[in-house]
Amino acid sequence: MIAKQNSREELLALLTNSGATLINPATLLPASDYFDLAGEEFGRRLLLTDGADGSKYCLRPDFTLPIAQQHIKSAGNNSAPQSPAAYGYLGSIFRQRPAGPCEFEQVGLELIAHKDADIALYRVFAFVRDGLNIYNISSPKIRLGSIALFEALLDALDMPDVWRPRLRRRFGSTNAMASLLQRLSGAYEPNLDVEIAEEEPSREQLIKTITKQMLDDGLSLVEGRLPSDIAERYLEKQAMAAARVPKKTIEILRNYLAISAKPEIAIKEVKKLFDQAGLSLDTQLDIFQQQAQELSKFFPDSPIILELGFSPRLHYYTGLVFELSGENNKSLASGGQYDRLLQALGAKTAIAASGGALWVNRLEQEAAKCKGQ
Amino acid sequence: MQGAVKCKGQQNARGSKMTELILAVPSKGRLEEQTRESFAKAGLNITRPGGARSYQGEITGSKDIIVRFLSAGEIARELIRGNLHLGVTGADLIYEAAENGAQKVDFASSLGFGQADVVIAVPEAWIDVWRMHDLSDVAADFSTKRERWLLVATKYVNLTRRYFARHGIAEYRIIQSLGATEAAPASGAADLIVDITSTGSTLKANGLKILEDGLILQSQANLVVSKTATFDKQQQAALQNIIAAFAKT
Repeated sequence: MIAKQNSREELLALLTNSGATLINPATLLPASDYFDLAGEEFGRRLLLTDGADGSKYCLRPDFTLPIAQQHIKSAGNNSAPQSPAAYGYLGSIFRQRPAGPCEFEQVGLELIAHKDADIALYRVFAFVRDGLNIYNISSPKIRLGSIALFEALLDALDMPDVWRPRLRRRFGSTNAMASLLQRLSGAYEPNLDVEIAEEEPSREQLIKTITKQMLDDGLSLVEGRLPSDIAERYLEKQAMAAARVPKKTIEILRNYLAISAKPEIAIKEVKKLFDQAGLSLDTQLDIFQQQAQELSKFFPDSPIILELGFSPRLHYYTGLVFELSGENNKSLASGGQYDRLLQALGAKTAIAASGGALWVNRLEQEAAKCKGQ
Repeated sequence: MQGAVKCKGQQNARGSKMTELILAVPSKGRLEEQTRESFAKAGLNITRPGGARSYQGEITGSKDIIVRFLSAGEIARELIRGNLHLGVTGADLIYEAAENGAQKVDFASSLGFGQADVVIAVPEAWIDVWRMHDLSDVAADFSTKRERWLLVATKYVNLTRRYFARHGIAEYRIIQSLGATEAAPASGAADLIVDITSTGSTLKANGLKILEDGLILQSQANLVVSKTATFDKQQQAALQNIIAAFAKT
């Protein structure tokens, strides 16, 4: 127990020494904030409870969201969300697991609105390394992913524009992405309403038909999908039989997402793939390479893998994401850049942010295992 | 076997007290009638000595079985928790009562009544949406363009989450609905629904259509055995008899 207490104190000292303000958000938080931000997939992992007034609350499932909210709030209406801040935390988070609800302890650092985003990221790396050092873990397995590079690739590839956001939304979910690519590469069945399709209607005619149907069924014309949304997607499906996502594009995406190798090899493979496809994405690729190199300076003994398909399936992540794992492949620490989070939470402009969190209980288990050997 | 050992201990503590098998059946309406009928076909006669207001009954000639009359939803929940040995309830309710509910029970026999399909239905005005993959495009487009999630009204939260996950759809939120789910799109509470239907006529009357691959679960009444309840030898024997009786029908 004394050892446990000591390591907690060391973690807190580490945070304050790295210039972070210690922050302790409420344990009980409005659940709607998480549902609004991350949807049902994340929402199912929340431990929910009801207020007497019917409002839903959840036990804190992570620290990043309340910290980002607090950062925006503390700035008020002035431009202060743009002034750099460093926040540190150590405390419990709560998640549903298949085996039942679980309480975990996390320690983390969040750097918001720092001028040089890369330097902020390297500060996070340093914090993660020092945190692991407290538990004598020096060579975790590391995987790195780049959202910025994938987004740049998506922009550059030849395809009808409607598919770009749909592919982007699937980035980070191997299965969802694979089934979408499978669908795009197969025979395209427009599967349209035959009666309407035979008339080859114009956008205006379609909108008229849809609007009438919606009014007949008592649907709102402004709240949900608009008649124009439906008509446009209908026409897009019709057009898709002629103008599809090119085979070559699907091939490039598949090959790209399958790359998972040591940094030198992975970068070489990506370069080759881009060269063959006539894509020039050197700027983004150089950034990724640079980030991997910096990281390897912090963890010279670690096996680092660049996994081009690796990302959380959450749209507010940007730039780089990382995950460190131990002996049994359980995640010990993870984090990355999330430049879109503060804006998603109400900030007027995008604000650079990066952070990392360590799973304290797993570090303890890992440390005990190392000692046992 | 672990269960049997545990129960033996209890039995010793209570001396020679008899341990009955607890069977729960739906307490009201069509479901109760049909349950009695299907038990009768298997040669098991459920009686309710205290009349419709009593919630305890028995099977004629089987002293080792206690019959409890409960709501079908409660039966599902208590089977999963292990507070009942055996019960008659809808498969949909087992899947819905807990995220891993189906792993906690054994579907011993389907009874051929209480059929209902849990389906995904969207407004008929969505002339571009016929299959789940259309819905996955719409969900992605919607969250990109409108900056809110597609809203799905349902009381089948667990089934919906699992089915959407299987189809790779993450951009949605569930609005819990406890009744008249089919009205949710028209009232503006949700964009689409997941609900139970037997003929589809209620959905149609509300301007909704079922997706071609939108059948989440074909449900019916089942004889369900709890895997979490403890069974002693006597209870196991009683269970064996009931299951054997149904196997012969």
